[in-house]
Amino acid sequence: MTKRSLGKIFLLSFIFILSALLILSCEKSTETGRDAEKLNKLTEQVEKLTEKVDQLSKQVDEMGRKLEKFSETMAAPQRGGSLVLCVGDEPPGLDPTASASAAIDRVVYANIMEGLIKVDRNGKFVPGLAAKWDVSPDGKVYTFQLRQGVKFHNGEIFNARVARWNLERGAAADTKNAHPEFFRVIEKIETPYDYTLVVTLKDVDALFIVHMAEGDAVMLPMKGYENTAAAPIGTGPFKFAKWTRGDSVGMVRNEKYWNPALPYLDKVTYRFIKDPSAQVAALKAGDVDIIGWLFAPELAADIAIDKRFKVLSGASTSEVIMSTNNKAKPFDNKLVRQAIAYAIDRQTVIDLVMAGYGTVIGSHWPPVTPYYKKMSDRFPFNPQKAKELLAQAGYPSGFEATIKLPAIYPYSQRAGEVIADMLGQIGIKLKIEIVEWGFWLDRIFKQKDFELSMIGHAEAWDIGIYANPNYYFQYDSQEFREAYAKALKAPNEAEKAKWFGRCQEIIAEDAVNGFLFLSPALSAMKVELMNWWENYPTIALDCTEVWWKR
Amino acid sequence: MIRYLIKKLITLLILLGLVSITVFAVLFVLPGDPAQIILGINATPESLATLRAELGLDKSFMGQYAHWMGNLLLGQSQQSIHYKMPVYELIRDSLAVTGPLALLAMLFALAISLPFGIYAARHQNQAGDVVVMVCTQLGLATPEFWFGILLTLLFSVQLGWFSAGGFPGWSTDCWGSLKALLLPAFALGVIRASILTRLTRSSMLEVLSEDYVRTARAKGLKERTVVYGHALRNALAPVLTIMGLQLGQLLAGAIIIENVFFLPGLGRLVFNAIGQRDLPVVRDIVLFMAAAVVVVNFLVDIAYAVIDPRIQLE
Repeated sequence: MTKRSLGKIFLLSFIFILSALLILSCEKSTETGRDAEKLNKLTEQVEKLTEKVDQLSKQVDEMGRKLEKFSETMAAPQRGGSLVLCVGDEPPGLDPTASASAAIDRVVYANIMEGLIKVDRNGKFVPGLAAKWDVSPDGKVYTFQLRQGVKFHNGEIFNARVARWNLERGAAADTKNAHPEFFRVIEKIETPYDYTLVVTLKDVDALFIVHMAEGDAVMLPMKGYENTAAAPIGTGPFKFAKWTRGDSVGMVRNEKYWNPALPYLDKVTYRFIKDPSAQVAALKAGDVDIIGWLFAPELAADIAIDKRFKVLSGASTSEVIMSTNNKAKPFDNKLVRQAIAYAIDRQTVIDLVMAGYGTVIGSHWPPVTPYYKKMSDRFPFNPQKAKELLAQAGYPSGFEATIKLPAIYPYSQRAGEVIADMLGQIGIKLKIEIVEWGFWLDRIFKQKDFELSMIGHAEAWDIGIYANPNYYFQYDSQEFREAYAKALKAPNEAEKAKWFGRCQEIIAEDAVNGFLFLSPALSAMKVELMNWWENYPTIALDCTEVWWKR
Repeated sequence: MIRYLIKKLITLLILLGLVSITVFAVLFVLPGDPAQIILGINATPESLATLRAELGLDKSFMGQYAHWMGNLLLGQSQQSIHYKMPVYELIRDSLAVTGPLALLAMLFALAISLPFGIYAARHQNQAGDVVVMVCTQLGLATPEFWFGILLTLLFSVQLGWFSAGGFPGWSTDCWGSLKALLLPAFALGVIRASILTRLTRSSMLEVLSEDYVRTARAKGLKERTVVYGHALRNALAPVLTIMGLQLGQLLAGAIIIENVFFLPGLGRLVFNAIGQRDLPVVRDIVLFMAAAVVVVNFLVDIAYAVIDPRIQLE
């Protein structure tokens, strides 16, 4: 702080002396009454210099901010205190192994329950309950060395036998897991030692580790897993305390956590507030300490100028797309879809819908996830080109279509309105229909009764949905399926990058959906709250390393 | 009186029967699969089928209806799909919020409407009356959620006297719980008071022009005795009717205000349950709401008889 102000003072005195000298010399020249032009030139120079000083002081500011951030990461965390976290959706039960709902993972994952693998703040896969793992050269055998001394909250010991039971439970015929296919790639599981787990896959699966790091693969105790949906037990840094239905889920510090240094907080409460303005009011009134997902990005600037709060805007894994029914006329025509891609000014969509927060995307892959390939330049905003393509497709004067927007997501409705206007410019008249979530799931998702819609796909690594011609947007491409299969069977990193990149290219080129933007991981919190996640590379709101500065 | 009670009870049962069939049928044809909502959009078809079977959604219309009615008659609660706990407990817990909220709101409404209504009637067409009438007009035109947000901005965000919402629970913090209900109850009460004030005024005006009031005045009674002793009691009957309707409505859940103040009440419970297709919860709550309205109306009928002995309960 002091360094910053010293720098400013220095710069300001410098400019002051400079201008004094200039004024003196000006006076001389006017005295001689010779050249008024010279004076003008000099004033211009002064202006230029002032601009430069402005720039420099901005840089100094920026450096100061970086310094603050650095000191935050370097400062010794303090223990104790409780945290009240506001999230929008109340989870349907608290068992991530019985539902793929993101709302569940956002409460329990990494807090109450953990899996073998964890995702760190940079999106990298790091040890969770497995201290390390090796893959055989043929890519089929995974050997996990499990952490020793890990206990569940009910006192049960975690070892290879428990891990094996969990993986088998996910693959069982009567499993309730929403993603049994994550586990059914496993051919056999061996437990040669108490803390060694050897998993042999039926075939190479590039996403096996990815899947083991998701909420669907958390480790539950063999005794006492039955009531997970109402009273979850895990190995995590926090123990489940109470679920007040309709209001909050409370958890307390796990004193016997395998990492004795963690967590820092004593108590964490997840409170469910759906209304965007009620969220902000609760933060400002001090009822909650942090809003994990700010539903109203337009209010972020207002919160940020309040000295009591800070706003973090990182990247999430949720791609917001204008889902397009690839079998519905005229959207089955690639030229029409490409015309639409040219007609959408995605930065303006972000500015109008998300108050400028968010990242432009050009394909179905979050920029924070490995193997990302930048496709956002493939269809730059060009209405003229869009009209040409539309004419080429046989619709020189455009056409009419309906866009069905789920009411539960505010961004979806707003983006729908903005895009309806943009498409209107090239002659495509959109009729907007707002539908309720259950209706959306039934009519649009299940029965595929739609032309256009708008939704955020929250999961990372979900590009495989394009390989399924029965998925709701009904994209059917042999080329994509082959590329995806190759990516899944890729034996090394270079091949993975190549084929996952190719997958992103193919769907971008085909303009399967309107790829709009990556939702920002927008959180707002009290300034004293330290070490919150800036990016959300996985679906979790992890409080393990969060602490209060006093 | 007994005959009246039996008649009311039979009406209630028939009504509940009709409501149950309607609710069930509407929810049955409503698009949206609870299993899909729980499992999320990337769930595999087989996991969906497993969950549907577990929730009993694969049974026929009559099978599901009979199952529900059977449970209901036996007094057994079904399990909430979303919250994984018995529906009756959910209703009980949320009533602990909505019940006091509704009563408090009615108290506010009465405390505002009676004095102002009587004042306006007694000063008909004078400046005070005009001010009261303008205010009630304003109150009628104000949406309660907006008024609620204004209250939060002033009392919670600016002054910090109240929390912006939430409910600590009666057992953990009794005073805090009462405090948490004050702002939302006031928001609900003020809007309802507007109607009641107008009603009290017009009803009072009517009664004040009756012969018996003139007689009372002619007898030389004090104006105070005339108004409060003779006129008010008779003027209250129509006010009571509307109050009964309002209380029934409030018990059925102040959905919007509960969302603004994020109170875990009945309104928010049913609102979320519809969104999540938590059908057992929706069904039972709708039945409960219908019963609540009938019971409140019944209480209003009894109150009539108390206020006005000329009314016989037949």
